[in-house]
Amino acid sequence: MLTSKFWQKLTRYSFCCVALCFLLTTSISNADSTELKTRWQIIENSAKKQDVYFYAWGGDPQINAYIQWAAREVKTLYNINLHHVKLSDTSEAVSRVLAEKSANNNTQGSVDLVWINGANFATMSEHALLLKQWANKLPNFKYTDPENNPAVNFDFGIPTQGMEAPWGQASLTFYYDSLATDKPPTTLAELLHWSEQNAGRFSYPKPPDFLGLSFLKYALVILHQKSSEQIKSQLNAPVTEQNKALILNPLWDFLNKLHPSLWRNGKHFTQSGEQMRRLVDDTELSLAFTFSAPMVPAAVKRFDLPNSIRSYAMSDGSLSNTHFIAIPYNASHQRSAQLVANFLLSPQAQAQKQKASVWGDSTVIIQSTLNNEQQGLFKAQLPHPSALPFNSIKRTLSEPHPDWVNAIIQGWENRYGISQ
Amino acid sequence: MRIVASQTTTPQYKADLFTRIVKLSPIFLLAFLIITVLGGLIGVILPAFGWAPALNQYTIGLDGFNALWQTPGLSQMALLSIGTGLFSTLLAFVITLMILATFFNTVWLNTIQRLLSPILVIPHAAAAIAIGFIIAPSGMLSRLVSPWLSGWELSPPGIFPHDSWGVSIILGLTLKELPFLLLMALGVLAQPELGKKLREQHKIALNLGYCPMTAFFKVILPNLYPLLRLPILAVLAYASASVEMPLILGPNTPPTLAVAIMHWFNDVDLNLRIKASAGALLQLALTGGLLALWLAGEKTIKYCFSDILTNGEREYGGAFWQKITSILITLVISFILLALAGLIMWSVAGFWRFPSAIPEQFVLSHFQRALVQMIDPLSNTLTIGIVSTILAILLTLLCLESEQLNSKPVSRFTSLIIYLPLLVPGIAFLFGLVWLQQLVNNLSAFISVVFSHILFILPYVFLSLAGSYRRLDPRFSHVAASLGAKPYKVFLQIKLPQLFAPILIAAALGLAISFGQYLPTLLVGGGRIATITTEAVTLANGASRRTSAVYAIIQMALPLVGFILAWFLPKLFYKSVHH
Repeated sequence: MLTSKFWQKLTRYSFCCVALCFLLTTSISNADSTELKTRWQIIENSAKKQDVYFYAWGGDPQINAYIQWAAREVKTLYNINLHHVKLSDTSEAVSRVLAEKSANNNTQGSVDLVWINGANFATMSEHALLLKQWANKLPNFKYTDPENNPAVNFDFGIPTQGMEAPWGQASLTFYYDSLATDKPPTTLAELLHWSEQNAGRFSYPKPPDFLGLSFLKYALVILHQKSSEQIKSQLNAPVTEQNKALILNPLWDFLNKLHPSLWRNGKHFTQSGEQMRRLVDDTELSLAFTFSAPMVPAAVKRFDLPNSIRSYAMSDGSLSNTHFIAIPYNASHQRSAQLVANFLLSPQAQAQKQKASVWGDSTVIIQSTLNNEQQGLFKAQLPHPSALPFNSIKRTLSEPHPDWVNAIIQGWENRYGISQ
Repeated sequence: MRIVASQTTTPQYKADLFTRIVKLSPIFLLAFLIITVLGGLIGVILPAFGWAPALNQYTIGLDGFNALWQTPGLSQMALLSIGTGLFSTLLAFVITLMILATFFNTVWLNTIQRLLSPILVIPHAAAAIAIGFIIAPSGMLSRLVSPWLSGWELSPPGIFPHDSWGVSIILGLTLKELPFLLLMALGVLAQPELGKKLREQHKIALNLGYCPMTAFFKVILPNLYPLLRLPILAVLAYASASVEMPLILGPNTPPTLAVAIMHWFNDVDLNLRIKASAGALLQLALTGGLLALWLAGEKTIKYCFSDILTNGEREYGGAFWQKITSILITLVISFILLALAGLIMWSVAGFWRFPSAIPEQFVLSHFQRALVQMIDPLSNTLTIGIVSTILAILLTLLCLESEQLNSKPVSRFTSLIIYLPLLVPGIAFLFGLVWLQQLVNNLSAFISVVFSHILFILPYVFLSLAGSYRRLDPRFSHVAASLGAKPYKVFLQIKLPQLFAPILIAAALGLAISFGQYLPTLLVGGGRIATITTEAVTLANGASRRTSAVYAIIQMALPLVGFILAWFLPKLFYKSVHH
C-alpha cells in the first residue's frame, strides 16, 4: 500500500517537474517580451473600473480640456474614471505625498498620477516618493525610440529609472505684439538693448516659477557660450562653493543691467507665464515667451491675445526639455494609473495633444517608429499667422544640472526678492 | 430629529432623548471647535519647534525660527500684513460710521445697504479680480481717458495693482469689509428694543439742537460699539492674515506674510515646512498683537473723548462731513458698479485691445467653454455648501434650544469659542489640521472639507440665528407646554415654523460663506476637491481674464441665488399658510 502510494506521488512530482522545466525553457527563450506582455495583461485585467486621481497643474483651460478629453477616452476604453486634480503649483502634490509618507500612509495615497519634471522630480526621487521601473515597461514606450532618443530617459540630466513616462516636450519660444514693435530681439544681447529702447515692455515670471527660471537658465547658458570649456562643463556639474560665483556672476551682472528697464522697473515680477500673457493682451508688455509654442495661436483664437501677435525662436538658441508623468510609491490605483499613462503615450493621444486647436504640445513620439496610418494622425493643418513658423528652432540648448535651479533661486531671492 | 420622529410609540423616552441631545449639543459644539482649532495649532507648533516626523526631524529646537529670521524681507512682509490689515479695517470702520452718522434714521440707509449688500456675498477672489481690472494701468479707469485725453496708445506704466505699499490690497479689503460692518451695525440697530431706544434717544438729541452727526457720535455710538466689537475684531483678524486678496492684488517682492507662508508650505523644498510653521506662529502673534492694539486704541479713545461726550457741543461741521460722506459713498458705489460692468464685459469679450473702453466683439464662447469644465466644481460647491450649512444650522438650533431649556444664555466662554475660527487666522491652524487629519486618516476628503467649512460657517449662522431665536415670544412655548406638548414637539411645531424666515436667511448666509472658502477647501481637501472658488483663484493668477471673469460671475451668482430664495420662499410659505 505504502509503496504504491509512494510511486503514485513520485510519478506525479516527476510529471510536474518535467512540465515546469518545459515551461522554464520556453519562457527563457523569449523571456523579455512574454514577461512584459503578461505583466501588462495582468495590469489590463485588474485595473479596469477604477478611479485615477491625476494631479496636474490646472492654470490653462486648454490643457484642462485636453485632460478632460483623455478622461472620456479612458472611460470608454477601460471604464476608468480619471479625475483631474487641478494644482496651482505642482509642488502641492509633492508635499501631499510627503505628508502621507510621514503619516505612514504607504498604500492608500491620494495621488495616483502626477504631471512633473525638473526640480519637483528631483525632490520626489531624492525622497523615494515615486514608483520605480514601470514607465519603461509600458507597451507604448517603444514609440519614443528610447535607444536613439535619450531625452525620454533623463529629466534635467537626472536618470528617470522608469519612474516617469515622457508626456511632451517644449522649447522656449518668444512672441511679440507686432503693432507695438516691428523688430523683436533675436539674441540675448539684442534683448537687453531692445528692453532699454522699449522700457517697461518686457518682464519674466518671478522665480521659483518654472518659466521664469527657464528664462534665467537660457540667459545663463548663453552668457557662458564664449566661456572656456572648463567653465562650461561646470554647468552640467553640481553646484560647489568654488564654481558658484564663477558660473552665476555673469548672470547677476546681466540682470543688474536688464532689471531697470523691465516692467515696473524690475521691482515687481509676474507670478506666472499666464499672467505675463495677460499683460501682453493688456498691451502692458510687448514681448514675452512661453514653453508651449502652440499656446500662442490657441490663445489668439480664444481672444486671449490680440491678432497682431507673432511667434519666433531666438537665433542664439532655444532651451528645451521634456515633461513627464509619474506615479507616487503609495498611489492607491497604481495599475490603473499605468493604463492611463500608457494611453497618454499612445499615438492617438499624442497626436490629439499636438493639435494647435487642442493643446499644441510637441509629441515625444518619434515618427519613424509609427506606421503610415499612425503617422497620418500627426499631419498638421495650415499654420496660424501667430504660430511659430515651421523649423524656426535652429539650435536647442540643453538644461543645466538641476542643482543650479536652487542656486539661481536663492541668489535671485537675495538680490532682487526684496525691492527697495 | 430623525431619532425623535422614529420613536412615536414611546413618548416619555423620546422626550428625554431629545432633551438629552439638546443639553449635550453645546458641549459637542465646544469640543468640535476646540479640538479642530487647537489641534490644528498644535499641528503647527510642533513642526515650528523642529518636531516633524514627516521630515525625519525629531530634535526640538529653534531652527525653524532662525530660518524665519534670516528670510530676506521678513520685516517688510510683516509690516505689509500689519499695514494692510489695520488700515483696511480702520478705513472700513470709519466709512461705516460716517455712513451711519450721516444717514441714521433716514430711508437712505436702507438704500445704501441694499446697494452694498450684494458685495457681501461676492467671494474675496472674485472681488479682487474685478478690482484689479479697474486699477491696472490698462484697466477701466485708464481706458476711459485714453487716448482722447491721455494720448496713450499702449498701456501706460503704472503701479497698481501689486504696488509695494499694499494700497491695492487695502482698497480691495476695505470695499469687501465695508458692507459687512455696515450690515452688522444695521443688524444691531434692527433689534427691536435696542433699536427703538436708540432711535428715540437720537430724536431727543436732535430736539436738543444736536446736529444729526454729532447726535450719532455722542448718543448712538457708545451704545452701538460694544455690539460691533466682535465683528470688527473678526474683520481685523481676517484682513491681517488673508490670502486671496494679497495673492491677486498684492506685491510679490516680498508678498504679505500669509502669502509667503502659503508659498513655503507648498514649496518643493520640504524643509521649508519648518520655517513655514514658525511663520504661521509669527502670523498668529502678529494678528493677536493687532487685536490687542485695536482694543488698546479703543480704550485710549474712550478715555480721551469721554469729556467731549458730555461737553454739550452740538456742532462739529456736520454739514461738511455729510457732504464728504455723500461723495465718498457715491465714489464707492460707482467704483463697484464699474467693476461689475468690467467683469461682465470681460466675460463676453472677443478681442479687446487697449485703449478701447468696450470690447471689439461680444462672444459667448468663454461661458460655453467654462460651463463645460465647471460641472464637477459646481456640483462639489453645491453639495459641500448644502451639507455643511444644514449641519451648522442644526447644531446652532440645538444649542440655542438648550439655552432656552436651561433658561440661561450660553456662557461668555462658549460664545467666545464660537468665534474662534474667525479670530484665529486660517493660515495658522489649517496646515496643522491637514496634519491632524492625516493622523486620523480614515476621513474622506469630502467629509474633511465639510467639517472645515462648518468651522467657518458656524459663527455666522450662530450670529444670524441667535437674535431671532432669543427674541421668540416665550408665551407660545409656555402655552404649548401647558397643553402637554413635549419639548421636541414645541421645538418642531411651535418654534421652527416661527423661525422659517431667519433660518432661510442663515442658510443663505451659510451657503455664501461655504461657497467662498478658499484655503480650507484647498488645504483640507488636499486639492482633490475642486470648487468654483478654488478654480477661480487658480485661474485668477494665470490664464485668461475672460475665463476668470466667467468664474467670478458664477461665484457671485451662486450666493445671490441663495439669498433670493431665502427672501422668496417665506413669502410663498406664508401665502400658502394663509390660503
